[in-house]
Parts: sequence; structure tokens; C-alpha cells
Amino acid sequence: MASTAKSRWANDEEDAALEAQLKKEKEEKKRLKAEKARKLEAERQAREAAAAAAQQEGDTANGPPTKRRKISPERETEQVGGEPQGINGAPKLLRFEGGVFGRCRSVENYDKLNDIEEGAYGWVSRAKELSTGKVVALKRLKIDPKDRGGLPVTGLREIQILKDCDHRNVVKLREVVVGDDTSKIENIFLVLEFLEHDLKSILEDMPEPFLASEVKTLLQQLASGVAYLHDNWILHRDLKTSNLLLNNRGQLKIADFGMARYVGDPPPKLTQLVVTLWYRAPELLLGATRYGAAVDMWSTGCIFGELLTREPLLQGRNEVDELTKIFELCGVPTEETWPSFRRLPNARGLRLPAQTSGGSAIRARFPLLTAAGVALFNSLLALDPDKRPTAKEMLAHEYFKQDPKPKQEAMFPTFPSKAGQERRRRRETPNAPARGQQAAEIGAVDFSGIFSGREREERGGGFSLRMV
Amino acid sequence: MSHMTNPLATPDQLFQRRSFDSLPIELQDTILFATQCLTQAAGILLQLPQSVTAQANVLLARYWLVEPIMSHEFSDISAAILYLTAKLSPHPRSPRDLSNVYAYLLSPSTSLFHPPTSPPPSNNPSAYYLSEPAYQAFHTRLLHLEAHALYTLSFDTHVALPHPLAITYLQALDFLGCGGMASSKERIGQRAVRYLNTALLSPQLLCLTSQPNALAVAAIYNAARDVGAKMPECEWWEVFDVDREELGFLVVGMRSVEGWGRKMRADLKGMKMGVERGMVTRADVEAELRRRGLSVVVGNGRVGGGGGDAEEEAARRMDEKMAEMETGV
Repeated sequence: MASTAKSRWANDEEDAALEAQLKKEKEEKKRLKAEKARKLEAERQAREAAAAAAQQEGDTANGPPTKRRKISPERETEQVGGEPQGINGAPKLLRFEGGVFGRCRSVENYDKLNDIEEGAYGWVSRAKELSTGKVVALKRLKIDPKDRGGLPVTGLREIQILKDCDHRNVVKLREVVVGDDTSKIENIFLVLEFLEHDLKSILEDMPEPFLASEVKTLLQQLASGVAYLHDNWILHRDLKTSNLLLNNRGQLKIADFGMARYVGDPPPKLTQLVVTLWYRAPELLLGATRYGAAVDMWSTGCIFGELLTREPLLQGRNEVDELTKIFELCGVPTEETWPSFRRLPNARGLRLPAQTSGGSAIRARFPLLTAAGVALFNSLLALDPDKRPTAKEMLAHEYFKQDPKPKQEAMFPTFPSKAGQERRRRRETPNAPARGQQAAEIGAVDFSGIFSGREREERGGGFSLRMV
Repeated sequence: MSHMTNPLATPDQLFQRRSFDSLPIELQDTILFATQCLTQAAGILLQLPQSVTAQANVLLARYWLVEPIMSHEFSDISAAILYLTAKLSPHPRSPRDLSNVYAYLLSPSTSLFHPPTSPPPSNNPSAYYLSEPAYQAFHTRLLHLEAHALYTLSFDTHVALPHPLAITYLQALDFLGCGGMASSKERIGQRAVRYLNTALLSPQLLCLTSQPNALAVAAIYNAARDVGAKMPECEWWEVFDVDREELGFLVVGMRSVEGWGRKMRADLKGMKMGVERGMVTRADVEAELRRRGLSVVVGNGRVGGGGGDAEEEAARRMDEKMAEMETGV
């Protein structure tokens, strides 16, 4: 239990002397502490005895039982007996702080500055807390008063999950506030920490793509946020660049938990209608209802590609087109590369091209990426969810260790803020699927033609100039 | 760490409970006890796992430390919080299911709050038949109270139950598993869980004043003593970060709930008087207050004298009429 102070390397005299001295000091301390504890204990016992006596006098028969007398062995005797490495003094117990509960505050504590954007789940605006002057993002939950199901479960889950989260790469929920009229709760606002940018807008406006070192920093932060979520049994289910926020100190935070939920092991049956189409994993497109953290890793892979090119990686027009794009990039699934895929609901009717030109096209599409980069990219975009790395494994990947090293966050370039002043424009990215929507039926689809154009595609020469 | 911590009641909140409504504290205890039992019964009929119902119990107890107990009908707030908890869990239930279950549990046909000695009440389906307007009115109240409960609790629905921790601790103490001693080991586990479930009804609000690790340790301690299991000689609870004083308090608190609950049932019977037994309502409490010669104060500050019931009843009927008209359109 207690750590031994004895060093394995204490072989010369000087060390031994030093150690003896330390030991002596420690024992002295221990002795004092034990004495103090003894005193306290004696006091306590006296008090207890007095209380017990008082209670016996004034108590009726059915009153609460008196305090239980000590039944466990005395700690002091153990200590006075004194093995040198025993427990020193009072035990150190962990205290768990869970906070308190009470009513919401009013949104009137905040002063609205300007609107930022309108998303699928609510409106976001920038606001200032009146008492502290702190700038925050206020996200108003969209509530349909005609919905006889009550408050939207997505919004409630988002609040629940964000309240539980505490990680530097996950956006912080400071509190939830409501409109002034509390007789009817119609206006609910999430008070989130304010970050200047979202990654999507930055990518859209950048004249030059991110440097390799910058991509690594961003990706590393994303992976560490995702690892935290998965460690806590949370699936985000809508990772995309517009949901990743970036502040002017180079810090990335995952936001928008409108699709997120807690899961267990074994994974429960979940809706396949999650994740914005362009970032949706193939198992979801093929109708899997039991899926896990690997869907977030697929999205992470898509974001990786987008960071490299500034363009969303797989911009399908619909579910079938998205699958086509995926197979074009990653190859067609076979019993070898993805053993159980034929058993997925939407996979039965698929007609796939005869296996000739399969295999991943990532190496060819990203000729400037290092071998380690390609390896990571390929593994994130593995068709078989079981073959994708976990977020933790991703963090340990060779890619982050090689030169160029991830750039320090403080050295990250800054960007002109859009959220600061004018209204952000509405995106042309598709939105995450809405609740209650019907899942697309992918019936018998013929994919056999998808590689017909591939031969004409330009191939990389197998080498390229290194640009650092 | 969130699965090991709960927000706890502040001393202020616990103190305030005595000043709310000028409602005698033992009446508040009775109401809490009855409503927690009602929630449990509803959870069973709705086939919800105990983990969900127990969370609803904790949230309900928290709610009444912030909101005066007489502000809303007790059964309504029980239904709303159970609805909300189920919605956030993997086992959502529809308002229709809830309304049916609560209509049944509030009808004379239920055996809830029925003394176990007397013959079970006769089943009279027409007594818990729910007319469409009555359902609509219930539904509206449900949604209103769902939002209100969330507001009252700052949207913090996090509840860390002690049950899973107790299982882990039992495992650590080698009290789980199926060796040769399987039966007594099983009994310890069972009893520990029973103590934890009983603690949800505690008038001392144990689940609001102690963290789950302490509750779990106390339940195991009690269970092991009941079964006569051999416990470690040392102060084993310190391994689970519980000190002796807290443990002692919880052990006594948990053991006292059973006897107290029996007394509560007797009290409830007294309060309902007459043949019609069942869930205690605000009207019952008001009548009881009048009997004791205390003024009747309804939660929102309205002083309802003699006409309180009639007024309430009229309002309720009007609500139902309105709902009927709306659905008719």
C-alpha cells in the first residue's frame, strides 16, 4: 500500500546515510501524527460516550438506534507496533465532488452580440455574460411546441453528454439557461465556450492548404478528443469539419453533440440514420444497426482527407452515390477484406465488379503524403470497421512521431474571425439526418461499372518531389 | 469520474425543506414515500429496468428539494420524471403507456398501497378506463412538467447509481461468483441490492446526501452482517474511500428505512380514511391539514380555504373540456 522509500540503487554509503536521515524524519513525522490522531480519538470517544449517555436518558424506545460503537481494531495499536513501512498517519480517502443542483438561471444574464449560424438543431449566437463580461456562444434548442413527445431527446442528450464531459478537445458547456418566463419552458439555451472559428470555414477560405505539421496538430487533437469520448462510452456520430471548432490559440474542440449518445458493451441496437452523408461509414450505409466507435473513426479519416485537400473527401449525392465514391477510393469489399459485410441488410442486393482492379486508391490520390501518413489514412478508411484503429491506437501511430512533427498549438497561424462580426453563411454541406427520417433503401444496385474509368486515371509516377 | 459522483443536496436545501409551504415535515415524508413507491410500481408496469426507475426516484427527490412539494399533483410529477428518465435511457416509453399505467395505479383496482393482509381489490376495468380528453389533459400536464422538472434541476439529469459500484465492490471482496458457497454469496448480493433500492425511499434522502461509493459500501456492510458473512478484519471500507463515521451513519440510516416504511403505510391508510385507498393526492393533504387546523397553502402561494377542492376540481374539468374541444376540431 505505502510506497517503500528504499531505493534499489542505494548501494553507496552516501545514499544510505541520506536515506537513513530521510527515514528518521519520516518516522518522527509519523510519530507526531499518530500522537495527534490518538488525542483526537480520545476526545472523540469521550464525546461519543457523553452523547450516548445523553441519548439513553432522553430517547424513547422507537427512536433511531444510537451510534454504533467501534467494532474494528484500533488503528493506533497497529502503528505503535510500528513496522517501519506501515501506513503513515490517517488514511488518505478520495473525496468525490459532484457539485450541487438547483434551478436554471435566466438568459437575461447574457447580452446577445450577434448571430453566428443556424444549424439543424438550433440557432447559435455570440453573447456576453453581463456579470463577468465573458464572451460565450449561446445555442438555442429548436423546440417544436406541436411535438407531443415533449422536449427533443437529441437536445437533452446533448446537454446530458456535454455536462459529463471535461476534456480540452471537447467544447465546454458552462450552463443551461432558459427564457425569462419560467411558467412555460419554451426557450432553452446552451451556454457554450466561444471559439472563433470552425474548421470548415477556415478550409473554405484558405488560399493554401495546411502544412503537414499543422495537419498533424489538428488530427492529433481530434483523435485525443475522440479517444476521450470513446473512453467514456460516448459515440459522437456526427464528426465533420463544420463541427470542429478552432480558437486563435490553435486549439481544436469537438462540438455539436446533437447526434451523440451513450452506448454500452455489447453495443445496443442503434439507428443507422446518423452522421452527415459525406462522413458516413460504409457499414452505416449498408444498414448496420449494431455499430460502434469505428463509425467515428471513419469520419475522422474523412476529415484527415479534407485537411489535406481543403475539399470534403467523399461528396456523394445520395446514399448509393456515396457508396460508389467510397468503393472507388477504398476498393470493393471482398470476403477477405471485410468478412461479414454480405450479411448487412443493404448488402444482399449489391452487384460488385469482379475482383480485378480493387484495392485502395489512396496512395495514388495523395502522392505527397508520407508512407506513414498513407498507412494511417488507409487504416482509418478500412471498409471493415474491425480493421480501423481505435482513437488511442491512432494517437500512438508512427505518423505523429515522424518529421515534420506536429506543430505546437501556440505556433498555429491565426485566421480572421468570421464568428466575431458578420453572420456566417449557411453551408452547402448536407446536414446530419433528422430524427424519424426514413432510412434509404439501397436495393439491388449495380456497382460493377465503377472502375471502368480507372485505367484512364492518371497514376502517380511512384515518386514525387519532397516538399517540406 | 462521472459514474462515481452525484450532485448532492446543500445544507441550505435540506434546511429549506422544513420551511417550504409550512407543510409539516412528516407529511412531506409521507408524500415522498408514497410518490417514490408509486414511481417504482409504474416502473415495473412499464417494464423499465430498475436502473431507469431508480434514477427517476433520485431525480424526484432532488426536484422536491428545489420546488415546493405542493406545487403540482404528486402523481403527475412522478409520471413526468419517469417519462423524462426513460426518454434519456435506452428504454423510452410513450406518453400513452404512461397515462395508462398511472390511470391504473391511481384507480381503486390497484393493489398498490393495499394492505397485504386484506383480500386484493376487485378488478374493475372501467375504473381505469381513460377517456380521450382525460388522456390529452394528462399528456399536456406531462409535457409541461417534464420541461418544468428540467428547469428546476438545471437540465442536470445525471444520476450515478450505487448499484453497479456495489457489484464491483462485491467482486473485489470475493462475495460474487458461484463457488461452493454460492447460495450465501448470492444472498449477500441480493440483500445489498435490496438495501440500495430501499434507500431510495429514505426520508433522510440518503441518495442525495452521500456519494454512491459510500452507499454501496454501507449496503454491502449491512448485507454481510445480515447473512453473517466473514468480513475482512481491517477497515476494509477505507479501500473504497469511505470513512467509518459516514459508514456508520449510512448503515443505521439504511436499516431504519424498513420499519419507517411500515409506519408510513399505516399513516397513509389513516390519511386516506374511508374505503377508498390508494395514492395520496394534494386534496388528501389539504384535508389532513384542515383536520389538524393548519392553514392550507398551495405551492404557488395561493391560499385555498374551504373551497380549494371545488376550485381545483372545476379547473381540472375545464381543462378536460378544452382538450376535448381541441381534439374535436
